[in-house]
Amino acid sequence: MPDLAPEAARPRLRAPRYALALPAGVWLVAFFVVPIGTIVWFSFGYKPGLFGTHANDVLSLDRYRETFSSTFFATFQNTLWVGVAGTLLCLLVGMPAAYWMAVKAPPNRRGLLVALVMVPYWTNFLVRTIGWQVILAPQGWLSSLLQTLHLTGEPLDILYTRTAVLIGVVYNYLPLMILPLFVAFDRVGEPLREASKDLGANRWRTFTRVTLPLARPGIIAGTVLVFIPLMGDYVTATVLGGARGNMVGQLVASQFQTAQNWALGSAMAVVLILVIAATVAVIAGLYWLASRPLQARHRLVLEDAP
Amino acid sequence: MSAGSDLGAAGQAAPAGDPAGAGPPPRNRPPRSWADRLLTLGGLAVLVFLFAPIVVVIVYSFNEGRLLIAWDHFGFGSFRALTERPAIRSAVLVSVQVAVLSSLLATFLGTMAGVALARRPGRWTYWFIGLLLLVSVTPEIVDAVSLLPWLVYLGSDAGLSVFNGGIVRLVVGHSLFSTAVVSYIVRARLVGLDESLEEASGDLYAPPVRTFRRITVPLAMPAVLAGYLLSFTLSLDNTIVSAFVQVSGTTPWPVYVLSALRSGLRPEIAAVSTVMLVLTLLALGLVALVLRRSGDSATDIARTMGGG
Repeated sequence: MPDLAPEAARPRLRAPRYALALPAGVWLVAFFVVPIGTIVWFSFGYKPGLFGTHANDVLSLDRYRETFSSTFFATFQNTLWVGVAGTLLCLLVGMPAAYWMAVKAPPNRRGLLVALVMVPYWTNFLVRTIGWQVILAPQGWLSSLLQTLHLTGEPLDILYTRTAVLIGVVYNYLPLMILPLFVAFDRVGEPLREASKDLGANRWRTFTRVTLPLARPGIIAGTVLVFIPLMGDYVTATVLGGARGNMVGQLVASQFQTAQNWALGSAMAVVLILVIAATVAVIAGLYWLASRPLQARHRLVLEDAP
Repeated sequence: MSAGSDLGAAGQAAPAGDPAGAGPPPRNRPPRSWADRLLTLGGLAVLVFLFAPIVVVIVYSFNEGRLLIAWDHFGFGSFRALTERPAIRSAVLVSVQVAVLSSLLATFLGTMAGVALARRPGRWTYWFIGLLLLVSVTPEIVDAVSLLPWLVYLGSDAGLSVFNGGIVRLVVGHSLFSTAVVSYIVRARLVGLDESLEEASGDLYAPPVRTFRRITVPLAMPAVLAGYLLSFTLSLDNTIVSAFVQVSGTTPWPVYVLSALRSGLRPEIAAVSTVMLVLTLLALGLVALVLRRSGDSATDIARTMGGG
């Protein structure tokens, strides 16, 4: 709080410290916080007849009950499955790739590699997904290639299934996993790994006991960065999923666009946010529980505890 | 795995015949083990995986067939169709217009917020960063469905007819996430810079406004520019929010593509995607150039472009 002399010496009305952030704050409140609040409010209402979209004169939790009815609940389950499996696959694919980029690739090539990962990430999401539609189509080139090589007898039957959605989401969110992991592995640095090697650890031990623990913030960041948007995905499931690979994002969208039932759509959106928050919390809790015994085993106490 | 490391160790014992040892670092590098080779192979495979659909779209934009998916023969027909179809042309025009406006708005708001976050921290920062985090982690679909009723309400019930305009709606929708991105980038840059120049300016009796304009803004400029270009590409590619808030007549190109998805994809869709891809790549190249010029390493650029 104590400010520097020249400013303090001048007795004048001083703007509050947040003054410069105020416009952005007001803008985000007006077009982000308030709309989300409206959605929460709508979710307690109902759809009044054929042409209305929402009404709030009678408040109830009925829309939430409707959201958990069997038809919609199956979609929620499906979304959670795709979300968890997709995030794990991203981690499985992204970890070696990021490790290679940050540690094994020649240092003067690393900038280029980062750029190469970033180009797909900044390419239009929809276009990338349409690319997969072209690849996976039963009459597409991959299908005919596999058939000429006699790897499969019949045309490829992946498009419009949950597998296609899984491929699509792993593809679409992989850069979001690789980039934070790359930063984390890069931070660990050569000297620490060398020291570990000098102290007699082999490469696997160095990786699991030095590199991996130090890269933990990156792993957590990548997992969260992938999981959250993946759960709310709308485009991938629309392009590759069809009727068999439905996700909650489509469900919410259809309530607003075709069914014109804003109350139910709002309840679904709120449930989606809650499911995401709950899953992140559960995973964080599990992770914490799992890491405690490990930490206790590997702790090195330099001084006597008081 | 253990066999691989054994092999590596065995090779290390006799490095004399290894030409790779003559690489940039002066000391002898151990020859590559099987684990390393596998890792390299995996890394390259991931890169191929990342580029496969993009290459496919670019190649298929030269498809002369009637349908995008079925390859017929090579030709430039789809690009010619692009210039002839008014719907596609106007969609691209709307996108560019909205991208310029919304990124200007986001840069203006985000730069000021970033400066405040870096130079005037206090108890308010927790609230504000919390808000920015919320904006950036909320699934876009939730953002989209909540913005639609609100804009409809503002436009009709509240009598603010500006919000009935297609461009205004898109600009508002695209500015939200971008504002958060610009704030992060500008804050990150200024936090890394010492405040002494601004203090010196104050000591030399420059009023705060002039210090801001003459010292702080130039210092933050690379981040501001990078933020602007990132916002520009984000807006250019925004699909979900656009699909909900758009008014018919001002359809941005991703929404046009999305609607074409339902009526059958034609090669023109790939052609317009290719054109927009080139535009995005140009913007990204500029970002990298700006950041590189201001002395960022590959890691810093990755952090910036990865969204903080």
